[in-house]
Amino acid sequence: MRRAVIDNFSIALTHGLIALALWRLLARDDLDTEVSPRDAWQNQQDDLRDA
Amino acid sequence: MRDLVLIAFLLAFIATGFRKPFLFVLCFCYIDIVAPQKLSYYLLNSIPVSLIVFLLAIVGWLAFDDKRDSRFSARQMLLVLLLGYCGLTTMSADFPVEAQEKWAWVWKALVWAIFLPLTLRTKLRIEALALVLLLSAASIAIAGGIKTAAGGGGYGSLQLLLDENYGLYEGSTMSTVAIAIIPLILWYRRHGTVFPPDWRVSLFCYALVFACLLLPVGTQARTGLVCIAVLSVLSLRAVRHRMLYIGGAALLALVAVPFLPESYTSRMETIRDHRADQSASTRVAVWAWTWDYAKDNPFGGGFEAYRQNEVRVEKAATDQGDGPTTYEEKSRAYHSSYFEMLGEQGYPGLALFLALHLSGLIGMERLRRRYAKTRRAEEGWIAPLATALQHGHVIYLVGSLFVGIAFQPFIYMMIALQIGLATYVRRREQQTSWRTPMRPARALA
Repeated sequence: MRRAVIDNFSIALTHGLIALALWRLLARDDLDTEVSPRDAWQNQQDDLRDA
Repeated sequence: MRDLVLIAFLLAFIATGFRKPFLFVLCFCYIDIVAPQKLSYYLLNSIPVSLIVFLLAIVGWLAFDDKRDSRFSARQMLLVLLLGYCGLTTMSADFPVEAQEKWAWVWKALVWAIFLPLTLRTKLRIEALALVLLLSAASIAIAGGIKTAAGGGGYGSLQLLLDENYGLYEGSTMSTVAIAIIPLILWYRRHGTVFPPDWRVSLFCYALVFACLLLPVGTQARTGLVCIAVLSVLSLRAVRHRMLYIGGAALLALVAVPFLPESYTSRMETIRDHRADQSASTRVAVWAWTWDYAKDNPFGGGFEAYRQNEVRVEKAATDQGDGPTTYEEKSRAYHSSYFEMLGEQGYPGLALFLALHLSGLIGMERLRRRYAKTRRAEEGWIAPLATALQHGHVIYLVGSLFVGIAFQPFIYMMIALQIGLATYVRRREQQTSWRTPMRPARALA
């Protein structure tokens, strides 16, 4: 009985955290594309010129 | 009830992959470590979930992922060579049927380790993989840690969620892996972005480290104690206040000893006097047998070659007054990854295995040195991650001396993480090199 409670607690805690992590990952664009420092600098220059 | 929750969780996990295919990759890592299909009693048991997600991950990458800057590194080539070589020895194995059984999961672990770095294109992916590896292992470690604290330990009797000796659910394997991931847990506490550093993250990380430290006590695996010793020495490189750390560690050890169960301390004492211990004496005899076997079979006997051993063991007298005894054993496992490689894959296999691991240690050391003193905030995570992966790797290599885990999939995922980090950094350097003249980026992986 006590064993089952401990097992379920461990599974619930870690799986809950994985679920939360996945939820947050779904909202992050930098999971698939990362702006390199060079591109970031270029974008900044472009923005300045446009302004 | 647990079955339903696990099924719902797994379906939701797979569903996220259809939004972002990289999440299939994480899903397979989770399935490979936690084996939810084994934790449930019906339904999941009968579906080859592992294979389905494996295929989804590969198809998802082939069809949708950006492959422009995917590069094959030297260490991935080593893995390909090892895979091919193991395939050859399986065909000519001494025990063809048993060898096929081991090959059936080894090839998957190796193919996965070759594939995984190709998907690690962004920093967030590297972090997400580390996080899923940690949380998956945590589901076993937390249960084991609490049971140990509640007094449920004992050699071979601590139940880690699952009753069979599958993957990380085997006591000695989990003890080694649990200690090997501690540096990575501590890295995550300071450098995570999915769960940014705050008091809750720190609390969870420290509690998890404590659970990991309890596991070797609960499983009474002597390897675990050796691994903790290695970890405490390695940590000297990472901590800021060394004298304070040494004092604290010594104090903690002194306080902890009276709380350890007597069965644990008496078992640990056999490390010192191993010749009077049956398990250790048999181990040494099997290693001697393997050494001789490799002389006659330099290309190895294929997986499970140990089954043919017959050893005569001489056990020394014990302190309790038992005289020296001699007994015979047969078909005893290697209990050492190095002898496992030597016996099963011969000298070429052992050489590939050593090259794979040593190149990892060297690669991480290079990264660590190059980024140790960086002033750029966005590079601050690189050196600590390289250090954490390197320390975990050293702990695994030392633990491997006494446990036969040469093909443990979890470790290959950590190697994939190392390769992914190295190739990511190299790519990044190439992109920025026009701006900041640096040494030409060499192959790190």
